[in-house]
Amino acid sequence: MSVTTTERGRSAGRGGVRGAATSSPARGGAAKPPRSRADTRAGYAFLSPWLLGFVLLTAGPMLMSLYLAFTDYNLFRDPQFIGIDNFTALFADPRFLKSAQVTAVYVLVGVPVKLAAALAVAVLLNAKHRGQGAYRSMFYAPSLIGASVSVAIVWRAMFIDDGIADQVQQFFGLPAGGWVGNPGMTMPMMILLAVWQFGAPMVIFLAGLKQIPAELLEAAAVDGAGPVRRFVAVTLPMLSPVLFFNLLLETIGAFQVFSSAFIISGGTGGPADSTLFYTFYLYLKGFTEFRMGYASAMAWVLVLVVGIITAILFRTSRAWVHYTGDVR
Amino acid sequence: MVRTRTKTAGKIVALTAASALVLSACGGGGTASTEAAPVATDRDIELSLVWWGDDDRASRYEEAVALFEEKHPNIDVQTQFQAWDDYWTARSTEAAGQTLPDVLQMDLAYINQYASNNQLLDLSNQVGVNLETGDFDEAVLASGSVDGGQYGIPTSTNTLGMVHNDDLLDEVGIDPPKEGLTWDEYDAWLREVSEAGADSDPQIYGGTDYTGALWMFIQWLVQQGRTAFAEDGTPAFEKADLVAWAERTQPLRDDGVFFPVERSKQVEPLTGLQVNQAATELVWDNMMAGYAAGAGTENLDLLPLPTGPEGSAQFWKPSMLLSSSATTQEPDAAATLIDFLVNDPEVGKIFGTSKGVPAVPAQKDAMEIDDGSIDDKIVTYEDEMADRVTEDTPLPVEGYGVVEAEFKRLGEELAYGNITPEEFADQWFQSAESTLGGE
Repeated sequence: MSVTTTERGRSAGRGGVRGAATSSPARGGAAKPPRSRADTRAGYAFLSPWLLGFVLLTAGPMLMSLYLAFTDYNLFRDPQFIGIDNFTALFADPRFLKSAQVTAVYVLVGVPVKLAAALAVAVLLNAKHRGQGAYRSMFYAPSLIGASVSVAIVWRAMFIDDGIADQVQQFFGLPAGGWVGNPGMTMPMMILLAVWQFGAPMVIFLAGLKQIPAELLEAAAVDGAGPVRRFVAVTLPMLSPVLFFNLLLETIGAFQVFSSAFIISGGTGGPADSTLFYTFYLYLKGFTEFRMGYASAMAWVLVLVVGIITAILFRTSRAWVHYTGDVR
Repeated sequence: MVRTRTKTAGKIVALTAASALVLSACGGGGTASTEAAPVATDRDIELSLVWWGDDDRASRYEEAVALFEEKHPNIDVQTQFQAWDDYWTARSTEAAGQTLPDVLQMDLAYINQYASNNQLLDLSNQVGVNLETGDFDEAVLASGSVDGGQYGIPTSTNTLGMVHNDDLLDEVGIDPPKEGLTWDEYDAWLREVSEAGADSDPQIYGGTDYTGALWMFIQWLVQQGRTAFAEDGTPAFEKADLVAWAERTQPLRDDGVFFPVERSKQVEPLTGLQVNQAATELVWDNMMAGYAAGAGTENLDLLPLPTGPEGSAQFWKPSMLLSSSATTQEPDAAATLIDFLVNDPEVGKIFGTSKGVPAVPAQKDAMEIDDGSIDDKIVTYEDEMADRVTEDTPLPVEGYGVVEAEFKRLGEELAYGNITPEEFADQWFQSAESTLGGE
């Protein structure tokens, strides 16, 4: 009984808002009021701080790096145009391929695991318990400090031999020796560090979960759906726009991992190139070998790859992301 | 979403932004070749001075600078320091923007690159005016010259040696290595120690893997009467030499004789000797002071390097140099500061052997050294080495810093067993071909 009234009340409210929107003159679109030149100028004037910043600090350097990507610029000598030599050299460079591989593993494994962890915690925190606010703050805390240099240093200390992880392993009789010096274990260590900072996607998931109408879940429960079924059939589809948003953000973020790898490997990408992330190799080429042309070429390959992957994600999203009010 | 993407792209190129910003300032770079005149005393002069190193070195520099400012009240010295890696990143960016500091600490690995790109001041015409070089050993002073110009003044010297920790050797009951042993004898000795130390807790090893040190390879070539680099800056050795070098030590790696690389990566920046697990290490002699502090014992000593079948020749290497920027507005004052730092006896007292043994005798004699101390051992070692040092310093070529780092990295890959000695040689030559022999 109460359910139906709320439902009715809500749809009435929505209808009202929708009505207001359609009747607003701005949405009519039939006759645009002619904008005066003065208005346009004022508009650009107000935009100018952002525009200046964009042109001078983003677009300008980007264009310059596009030019440098086709030169042999080494910081000391004037750049000489060398065509696509940098790009062909890239794909013959075993360390470049290694860095692409390291980054791919990090993205393909790290992002799903992190999102799963974030979603799981968000679901737990969405339930009604006493002291939920405190729990939310606690689970978010690692993300506040996670990207900092100090945490990377602590992380290294935790996984070094005789560190905490090593002592726990020894307690359970597992082979010990520390993760930091073992090329096979540094990637799990880096992924754990990323997963541990699940706070940002978790908060977004939590907000998404709050948006799911309780009556949908209740109706499914009345129809006999168990908790798992309710999660898969109701919660996940309702959450898919949020999931998509998080997936996109985390994927792009994972491609750019740098500082934690820099600190954990002591600025080398080691041991044995096991933490040689793409951006890190780019940095090494540009700022320790001074091969700015080569590094610029790498930057543009990364822009292209991230762009393509984003486009693919958008394309596939049509199949699995449901927006409220979508007509299919 | 679109906004996020734009931001992402922005972040990606942020790394290259620096290069773009400085590019406009690029292009000049002619060496300032004004006549040298005695440094002015009638006007205020400001100099910048940068070095790499730790806090300990910083406080020594500050002390020396305070003394300099006392003697030259019109000169104000602004100081700055970074750790090794950051230091070169900062300098290369400054070089691109033509804003190198007036006086900078320089390393043999980079002097060629900076000098041949017209970044450094030729100090030749300051000699005898603001800068005295009469007390230098000629070969040592020559290490700061490139194409006939004096682009750096060495502050101190060192030479390679074998540090051994007698506390550890006592523990495993093996005598220290004997002077004059050959490389093969050294390898056999390493094996003996590692076998004896297998049951110690923590395990004790004979030494650390020295294959990935390019200087050690060069030293090995020098003992055979060869040089490492040709006039044009390309390697003067063959792939086969590099394969032979890596294969020499392969059995030791295969049998786990060396201090394991997994451990050494974890104790960085310390080394096996500093964590009391490796009984010997082949290093520059001035590093023994830091080693003694790390290992917590004074019971260390130095021996010459193992000898090859063709001899035991070693060479001096300036542990660091001082250079001045080609764009300095105050070449006279810069030369005066360099002169003070390399010649003044008080400065020698302040630094001790922390930068190596001072190149100038006046500084060396001014050091206050206790008999039997680590400093004393280092100075004694260099005195004794004087007749073994028969070769000139093999001067690093342009791009040396890069190929040295690659040599070290591949040495690690070798230690992890990821590559074979042949691949070690192949991959290093691949990197050397794209780095060395530029204009």
